[in-house]
Amino acid sequence: MSARREPMSATKMIRAISKTRLLLAAMVALLPATAHAAAPGITGTSFSLIAQPAYVTQPDGAMVYSWGYGCSVAPSASSFKPAAISGGTCPTMQVPGPTLIVTENTPFTVTLTNGLPTAAGNTSILFPGLQLVSTSGGAAGLLTQEATAASPVTYTLIATSPGTRAYYSGTQGDLQVEMGLYGAIIVLPASTPTGCTAALPAHYVAPGNSAEADFRLAPAAYDHAKSCYDREYLFQFSEMDPDIHNKALAQVSDPVRVSACATSATGPGCSLNVPTEPYHPAYFLINGRSMPDDMDPNYAPEYPHQPYNGNPHMHPGEQVLLRVIGQGRWQHPFHEHGNHVRILGRDGNLIVSQTDPANNLAGPLLFTTTTTPGLAFDGIFYWTAKGLNWDAYGHNSASTDPLAKLSCTPDLNGYNTGVAAQSAINYYEWCQDHNKPVQVAPFGDVAGGGPATLPDANILTNGAWYGGSPYLGPNATLRATGCTFGAATPPAGSCGQTGSTPPSGTIANSPSGEAGFAFMWHSHNEREITTNNIFPGGMLMMMLVDSREFVIDESN
Amino acid sequence: MRKLHHIGLLIALVCLATGVARAQSFRVQCPTSTITHPAANNDSEPAYTGPTVLASGAKGYLAPSSNVNGAIKCQQISGGDGYSTMGDGTQTYMFSFGPLSGLADIASGLPGTESPSVFNTVYTGPTLQPGDPATTVDAAGTFSFNGAVGLAPNVDANNGLGTVGAPIDGHVDPRPIMDVGVMNGNIPAPLMAIDEDDEFFLTLTNVGMIMRPDLFEQHTVHFHGYPNASSFYDGVPDASVAINIGGSFTYYYLAPDAGTYFWHCHITPPEHLQMGMVGQLYVRPRQNRVPVGNSLYTALQAQQTDPRTACNSAIDILCSNPLPAVVPASDGRAATGNYAYNDGDGSTYYDIEYPLQIHGFDPSFHFVGMTFNPEQFVDMKDKFFLLNGRSYPDTVKPGPLETQSADSRNHFSQPLPSIINITAGQKALLRISDLDVTEYQTLASLGIPMKVIAINAKLLRDQAGNNLAYNTNSITLAGGESLDVILDTSVPKPDGTAYTKGEIYYLYTPNLDHLSNDAENFGGLMTEVRIN
Repeated sequence: MSARREPMSATKMIRAISKTRLLLAAMVALLPATAHAAAPGITGTSFSLIAQPAYVTQPDGAMVYSWGYGCSVAPSASSFKPAAISGGTCPTMQVPGPTLIVTENTPFTVTLTNGLPTAAGNTSILFPGLQLVSTSGGAAGLLTQEATAASPVTYTLIATSPGTRAYYSGTQGDLQVEMGLYGAIIVLPASTPTGCTAALPAHYVAPGNSAEADFRLAPAAYDHAKSCYDREYLFQFSEMDPDIHNKALAQVSDPVRVSACATSATGPGCSLNVPTEPYHPAYFLINGRSMPDDMDPNYAPEYPHQPYNGNPHMHPGEQVLLRVIGQGRWQHPFHEHGNHVRILGRDGNLIVSQTDPANNLAGPLLFTTTTTPGLAFDGIFYWTAKGLNWDAYGHNSASTDPLAKLSCTPDLNGYNTGVAAQSAINYYEWCQDHNKPVQVAPFGDVAGGGPATLPDANILTNGAWYGGSPYLGPNATLRATGCTFGAATPPAGSCGQTGSTPPSGTIANSPSGEAGFAFMWHSHNEREITTNNIFPGGMLMMMLVDSREFVIDESN
Repeated sequence: MRKLHHIGLLIALVCLATGVARAQSFRVQCPTSTITHPAANNDSEPAYTGPTVLASGAKGYLAPSSNVNGAIKCQQISGGDGYSTMGDGTQTYMFSFGPLSGLADIASGLPGTESPSVFNTVYTGPTLQPGDPATTVDAAGTFSFNGAVGLAPNVDANNGLGTVGAPIDGHVDPRPIMDVGVMNGNIPAPLMAIDEDDEFFLTLTNVGMIMRPDLFEQHTVHFHGYPNASSFYDGVPDASVAINIGGSFTYYYLAPDAGTYFWHCHITPPEHLQMGMVGQLYVRPRQNRVPVGNSLYTALQAQQTDPRTACNSAIDILCSNPLPAVVPASDGRAATGNYAYNDGDGSTYYDIEYPLQIHGFDPSFHFVGMTFNPEQFVDMKDKFFLLNGRSYPDTVKPGPLETQSADSRNHFSQPLPSIINITAGQKALLRISDLDVTEYQTLASLGIPMKVIAINAKLLRDQAGNNLAYNTNSITLAGGESLDVILDTSVPKPDGTAYTKGEIYYLYTPNLDHLSNDAENFGGLMTEVRIN
């Protein structure tokens, strides 16, 4: 993997931080492996937003002039959801805008104040898929009522179906959306469908994992039993052409324009004339951030205007709801490593079977889920070790370690989900492969006699998210690398003899603490997993499947 | 002079790797029997009459006791570099995978995936030459070796008795591997095909990129779309291990659900994919192995009794082939042809299949990639639009295309034509995948409708079993997507006449700027459908 960069030619971007920050960022971002995601936002029936300018930060050190939505009236602390995530705040503009969490069939208002530079002119918000009941204040615009510099606009809205949707500027959209004026609306179902649980199922009290909080916004994504979920993430995809941002900055700062607009509110200085074609994006963003910044915590202080992250984690078998929105102007093939995604619905429209709509879905199963501008989709993902043909936990019936000899009792689906299993670290293990070895002659305390011989560790290069062994979870990984032999003392000098673990201190997925299975979730227009010509970057994040030994704490 | 220097460096690297204590360097793996396939011979899949019966053994795991399904398949590939020729004659440098098993099959446009008895064959002919099989075919006109290149009796494990009786255990002689593997990359990368219930041992041997001695690049294989993958065998270097130059890594898979997948390197993807490390991979359904005349619906019912092969919509949201909503009236396994999926009703039947991979090359990026300069990603713009690594008119040239490379040898670096031959009245399955790294591409059929039966390796069927296949005349894919299309010439044309021998139809892109080969404004993403 060769990091490449172009010589940073003359650019007007403000650089608050050294260009060498990328390497540091790449290292630092990987270390706090406990920063997770969920879908944080603000609940309520009355939202007060303001469109404002600020600089967003990119991992190459660039600070890019942008516009975004912030809160003009600070929401109460209790309106930030999920409650288990602390630090929720929206004191200033942010990209994407605050995620608005509302309930199906409950009217709500959004009041927009125009805090953009005067030369930027009016601004507004479109709510595609919602019913706009009425507007007040502001001035009439082409697509909707607009907020002027003097007069805010209030939109009264109602969502008649659950699901994820986009909101974005309806004024000079080619410029204002590019500048960052977009966000997400999550509409929760009015009631909990039969079969979905209000609380998480009797939660798994695995060793060291007694207290996992509920990070869901609701038990289900839609009014349908097939849309229950255990965990959720929101990802908004967009791109950014820094040249457009620089030109906008130059025009709003141009004294001639500023004074012309001060003279006449309808004068030529009161609107921008920034060419938005040809379009040449250099930044490819998930939730407003490029990799590796996207894997830092929500509301991290180093990104005051980019509060939302993209850092999914899950346990085997959990039904994980993905809320994904295309917010830019390009489509992006979002590839989820690890499994397919069942598309539940698009823009709040659940896709069901024509012959049995109450019980069966009809959305496609995709391993690459294209994001399309203005379009949101909801999908369900899960990961289990089904079909590997080897025991992912490296169980070894001959071990002296009790955790190496757990039982596996298959349910109808073939998984270990009985009541007894709820307190075991191999909850949701695929039982058909229980105790089945993968290695011919393993080094450590895992079963041998399997089909595959691993190469000598001396001719391998380890990744930063490599858990240290082929196996899932710290117990299996430490056994597989000779670091524990159950109750017995490891043979002298045996630990790490396989050399499987990366140099200590540079890992994002520690063998003794997490040892999850890491999967890359990224744009498969691979050109877009770069940050202004630097690889890695852009639309890329690592999803981790963690055994029950590891507490997934998304509270930052 | 410079070239010799490069070869010297590479040899030094290989020696270094072998010199490290316990380092295994190059080796291949292809066991003839395993826990899952315990018989002495697992060269071919037996007929499917029901799920494998599992019983608990002494070691606490389930092992087959009877009715064993599937077989063992093995393949070896090189990771390195090579050259190809674009539609306008431009010789293009690539980072690429080449065949190190199934050399003759690959040259014939077939998968290089072999059964153990073929893979474990020690080559006995004249010394393999750089460029083989192109070199030998040119010289002698015959080349039939499909075993693992480099495989040699393991004298070290023969108690001092020499080669006689020495075991064939995956030990290799690195010399033929370097002779054949260096600068022998293909576009698309070697074709892989396995059957459900197979175990697949895929060995990646990193022979280095001889034109780029400045890069100590690892390579990996990402089996794109493998459901419930382990990160260890997922090929993402950040999440797993990656093999260094001079070493081999064997990926182990149990064949996933049937479908059209694809594979690629996952090291620095915007670079390695653009440079050509992309290939095709598909999994054939166990329904093909139902005895002729037996009910497909009954066979799918049998699959429902094993949780590994079942699709129960009530408890699994990520499966796509529940029993069909309508019990088919006539569903005997056909005497000829095959099925793309376990449909239970014959709806994915085809007579002949063609893998078709969409890709794009940016000539500036490939030129810079041959130098020691960093490439630009923001400015990446494809100018060659490829079907199976070729632009029109090369797409309709039969047989492998040769390119003379920097070692002055000819290499079969573009083995796959993309001519779609259909016998009038038959159905062709197009297994279409896309690994372009810059933009979406559309492929249209001028004439014969495209029936889309599956997307992203999943049958188009709702959870209630209703068939969601649809007809269209164009499909649009991004890099990282695949779908299955059937061209059906058994349905009369709109005017009621039948398709007849000699007719030619076209698959082409309505992205009209992609009908070009760089500066030539004729060519690009287009091929012919020929009715025979």
